Amino acid sequence: MNPTIELNGLEVQLGGRTILHGLTGILKSRAIGLLGPNGAGKSTLINTILGFHSPSKGSARVLGLDSHTNGKALRSLVGYMPENDAFISKMSGVRFVRYMAEVSGLPSAQAMERAHEAFVYVGLGEARYRPVGTYSLGMKQLVKLAQAIVHGPKVLILDEPTNGMDPPARKRLIELIREIREGSDICLLLSSHLLRDVEETCDEVLILRNGQIASISNLVEERRANRNFLELETMGAEATFTSTLEGLGCECAVFTNGRIKIVMPDGVEIREVFKVAADKGVQIRRMNHRRDSLEDIFLNAMEQTGAADGRI
Amino acid sequence: MAVYKRRYAPYTGSLTPERSRFLVLTRFAFADLFKSRFFVLLLILSLVPSLFFAGYIFIANNKAVQLLLPTGPADMFSVEARFFTLIMIVQTQAAFLLNCWVGPILIAGDLTNGALPLFLSRPFSRADYVLGKLAVMGLLLSSVTWVPSLLLFTLQAGLAKSDWIWSHMWMVVPIVLCSAIWILMLSLISLAVSAWVKLRIVATGVIFILFFIPAGLGEMFNAIIGTIWGRLLNFSYLFQIILARGFREPSRLGTMGWNEIPVPAAWGVLIFVCLLSLVILNARLRARDTVRG
Repeated sequence: MNPTIELNGLEVQLGGRTILHGLTGILKSRAIGLLGPNGAGKSTLINTILGFHSPSKGSARVLGLDSHTNGKALRSLVGYMPENDAFISKMSGVRFVRYMAEVSGLPSAQAMERAHEAFVYVGLGEARYRPVGTYSLGMKQLVKLAQAIVHGPKVLILDEPTNGMDPPARKRLIELIREIREGSDICLLLSSHLLRDVEETCDEVLILRNGQIASISNLVEERRANRNFLELETMGAEATFTSTLEGLGCECAVFTNGRIKIVMPDGVEIREVFKVAADKGVQIRRMNHRRDSLEDIFLNAMEQTGAADGRI
Repeated sequence: MAVYKRRYAPYTGSLTPERSRFLVLTRFAFADLFKSRFFVLLLILSLVPSLFFAGYIFIANNKAVQLLLPTGPADMFSVEARFFTLIMIVQTQAAFLLNCWVGPILIAGDLTNGALPLFLSRPFSRADYVLGKLAVMGLLLSSVTWVPSLLLFTLQAGLAKSDWIWSHMWMVVPIVLCSAIWILMLSLISLAVSAWVKLRIVATGVIFILFFIPAGLGEMFNAIIGTIWGRLLNFSYLFQIILARGFREPSRLGTMGWNEIPVPAAWGVLIFVCLLSLVILNARLRARDTVRG
């Protein structure tokens, strides 16, 4: 079976600048999250997959189809929800979605039928005859989702789908996305800078930074591993403290300002950490005990690639 | 994904042929156009001259009606190449007005709210997109140029003596060809303007400016330098030169024919304008803009 996304040394140059620097990786899960700070290259990667940009080197494949050489065949499998406004303001919602369905190749009658279904499905049934230009921001996001799913794509690409939505609307959209994912064999590529969106909808995450892959992480496996984390803020002899903890089987990562992350192995209790700290004369100013989360994966990836503050 | 089930389901039905999919854009554009009363009025008005020309042809071929006229039967009713040149000039000017109203909204509406990526993220190329929009202009302008001209030709052929059609059959070629170059040029210019200027009123103004200001500047240039080449900027003039030669007329209608731009130069400029418009469309119709630097 073909991987969902396969990147082979993908390099993209725009306006004389290299935006994506030789991305290489294979993503096999059905729901893939694309994370990264602003300017990391998330949208450029999506645009390249859609064939809007041509790679200067390497290739990107989705379900085995090359984005450059099999662009049309690939786009026939894709439903795309762009980040920015994308609609025809004077058209009624249902007519707009029907239009997009017909452009995708659906016959007129089926396009009309599925446009109504898609509208009801995303929860805009009552507003379907209103011009799209009169919709609220949240409704416009839902119309974009409706036009992306109306033709029944095999790959759904969502670029910042919850942008500008209030918490209830965001929750509803995330539920919809999960429902789409779970109710069919559709593949999902979701780009977001909101870790929670990705965590709630995706199985695998590709983290980009400065146009390079900072990390590829399988969230399902990470969740299964279910490792315990301790986040400490300390003052004192960090080096001897961490080396002693490592002697107990802990994995330690030391950051600036005395911040230490500890992966606790099974059988080691927190009281032993306090004991080692007391022995070594290390003050523990703050302790946060938590499970491994996407935030950790993200921050770790950011820090490994040089963004010490992990700022998004 | 049935409404009552409220759950997502992929589409498994048949698809329309890819080659004809650009016509979806044309169909939707026409549906939107015919919602405008002003457009319908403009279209009807554009066809009114053809009714007068039809009346003329009827009178020209009917001695009984000519006898009822105050002047009586006369040889003034002549339906020959010059008459069809006049029809073409009138109808192509009507096409210009229609083009000024319709052209500016065709692409601007999609660009204003960023709908272009939605088209291009589907199995639909930029060429398909331009073709779909060009078809709108092509069909619309055809309906007021070569279609009524050929209908009038057919009417004349039916009313005149049987040998008229064979001796005048050659006129079908200039009717169709000259209309085609005029329609193509108007369509491409208006689509290029529509891709640049998003406000309809401004875009309409820009189209008028493109046709009248360069023509005026060309005449000024001619007057100052003492040449005729400034007329290369007058697209209507160039079209009339091509039209006159197409209809085997010695000169442009209403002129003596001396001191005119050579026909190949006229063709060259019109083709150059078409190519320039295509270059502009190619530059503007992108799913994503690239910021250089």
